[in-house]
Amino acid sequence: MINFNIKNLITSTTQIVLTAIGASLIIILLGASPIEVMTSIFDGAFGRPEKIVKTMLIFLPISLASLALIITFSGGLWNIGIEGQIVLGAIGASWVAKSFLGESVISPYIQLLVGVSMGSAWGLLCGLLKVKFNVHEIFGGLGLYFVGSGTIIYLILGPWSKKGVASTSGTDIFPQASWFPTLTSLNIPALPILIIGIIIISIILFLSFSKLGLKLKATGINPGSTNKFQFSSSGYIYLAFMIGGAIAGLAGVFQASVFYHKLVPSISGGYGFLAILVVLASGKRVIPTLLLTLFFSAMIAGGSQLQLRLNLHSSLISIILSSIVFFWLVVNSTPIKKNITNLLERGRNASL
Amino acid sequence: MLPFESSVVTIISLSTPIILVVIGETITEKSGVINLSIEGTLLITALTAFAVSVTTGSPFLGFLCAGFVGSIAALVIILCDTKLGMDQIAVGFVLTIFLGKLSSFLGKEYVRIPGPYFQKLSIPILKDIPYIGPSFFDQNILVIFSFLMIPLTWYFIEKTRLGLIVKAVGENPVSAENRGINPEKVRIIATVIGGIIIGFGGAAFSLHAKFGWSENHTGNYGWICLAIVIFGGWNPIRAAIGAYSFGVFQIIALKMQSVALGLTQVLPLIPFPLMILTLIFIQRFNRSDRTTSLPKILNAFFGGQSPENIGKPLEKK
Repeated sequence: MINFNIKNLITSTTQIVLTAIGASLIIILLGASPIEVMTSIFDGAFGRPEKIVKTMLIFLPISLASLALIITFSGGLWNIGIEGQIVLGAIGASWVAKSFLGESVISPYIQLLVGVSMGSAWGLLCGLLKVKFNVHEIFGGLGLYFVGSGTIIYLILGPWSKKGVASTSGTDIFPQASWFPTLTSLNIPALPILIIGIIIISIILFLSFSKLGLKLKATGINPGSTNKFQFSSSGYIYLAFMIGGAIAGLAGVFQASVFYHKLVPSISGGYGFLAILVVLASGKRVIPTLLLTLFFSAMIAGGSQLQLRLNLHSSLISIILSSIVFFWLVVNSTPIKKNITNLLERGRNASL
Repeated sequence: MLPFESSVVTIISLSTPIILVVIGETITEKSGVINLSIEGTLLITALTAFAVSVTTGSPFLGFLCAGFVGSIAALVIILCDTKLGMDQIAVGFVLTIFLGKLSSFLGKEYVRIPGPYFQKLSIPILKDIPYIGPSFFDQNILVIFSFLMIPLTWYFIEKTRLGLIVKAVGENPVSAENRGINPEKVRIIATVIGGIIIGFGGAAFSLHAKFGWSENHTGNYGWICLAIVIFGGWNPIRAAIGAYSFGVFQIIALKMQSVALGLTQVLPLIPFPLMILTLIFIQRFNRSDRTTSLPKILNAFFGGQSPENIGKPLEKK
């Protein structure tokens, strides 16, 4: 048994090393040094306490988006529309912050309520398009995302434009009361962290122990099976999209009221798409997803240094992240994994 | 010019890259493979075409290189699928992000610079026919190429033996194999040829419809093309009509800009959700339970079935 686990560990380590080599080759091909790039990134992400807080602020929305995707992927759904659900959550939060409630202390809590509901509704709409109109969720989701991002630009340039001049740099800063309360001089976002903790535990319990969660996973593996057992698979599609949309909406609320304190055109920051990469690599498991999200967030937080220090375009970060995910998927494919195990086995026998 | 004539010419012209992309993807999907990477492939091939044509002074060479890059992206997807058993959609999505960001990284020096372009091929007499003349006989070779590809692809898929083989593999690879066809080989060839044509589509953006290069130059067009293929019912002619409809939406948005000044920055975005909505409407006719109740002529136009085995890996014997 112990022997078996060690074998697994060696295989995983080999896989990680191979992935790192693959990603390093890409960095070298693009004319940069992997070691320089990575040290610069990690210094940028963890170098000072403020930088750790910044990494945490990036971790919040991506981890939420990843958790949302675990739910929808478990239901067998490709929720590319997650970007739109984040956008709607942010619009909901901004709506509250810009209303008469914006000046009151209850504003953050109302924002949570409205943002989460709007994200959830956007997700549900995608599910309705799939079930009632036979529209694949990838395209329904993208269509809804296009509507969301169009709306955000309209709001920023129109009804919610800055006093005096409308600009694509965003709305006016929200009133202080609409910001989420933070701890210490480092502005640690305590409430969002607490909320995410609760969501993580709930999702683990939901997917592993609740009957509903298990049925959802059954729908994802084989949509026909649930119908055979007289559950309605469309019901689970709605459920997955509503929960996923709600969590993604929450990410949008945090982007608007915790990170920017205003509504900006690119409020989702591409985090929905990054989260898809995370969940593809982590295989829908909660703990690996969170660890990988932490790594992704550190890369993004530290990546802002690249331009200044090494004069490298910031898109390099996403290039590195996507190549890591690509090589990880390759080394985890059945034939390659088998080859790695066989090679290690042979190496061990030879050394004995 | 006649009323609307310039609009018609613009629509035909704007739709050129989209037509090529939907044709490339249709061929790919007919064999049962989804190339989801289009959003990223378009960006990198558009950059390739423009960068090569600026560097060498030959837009034709740029066009060919874009096709080559498109084929490489497609090859990665199909090899990951057939050789490694990886999920096509997952690989396609990762490539979307990778290639899209790669185009931002590599394209810095080409942002908003001038470059060589394809000359118009004017055919005397024919070019003076109202509407048709300026649309087809006074355009460059890219527009004419895209236009010719529509009936050619339709003919290939529906009327030739090779097209039948591609369809058979997309519908039922097992029975195709029993008839002595190698489904793996067919899928690889179809996907790579599809990738080349998608690459040509990318070139048609940066060398024609949206001339030049800027960061995220073809942003969102790839997703729209994927949607047009699916809702176009995997039929090149219907997909082309979808592409032209998108051109109509774009030109309306363009014309509206001078009227609705407050919405200048929102209007260019509107064709994207509008297209999806239109396609959702058309999709209602695609449902198998509805097509039977439709009049025959409507059924021929709107009815469309997805290849039975689309997106599914081949079963290894």
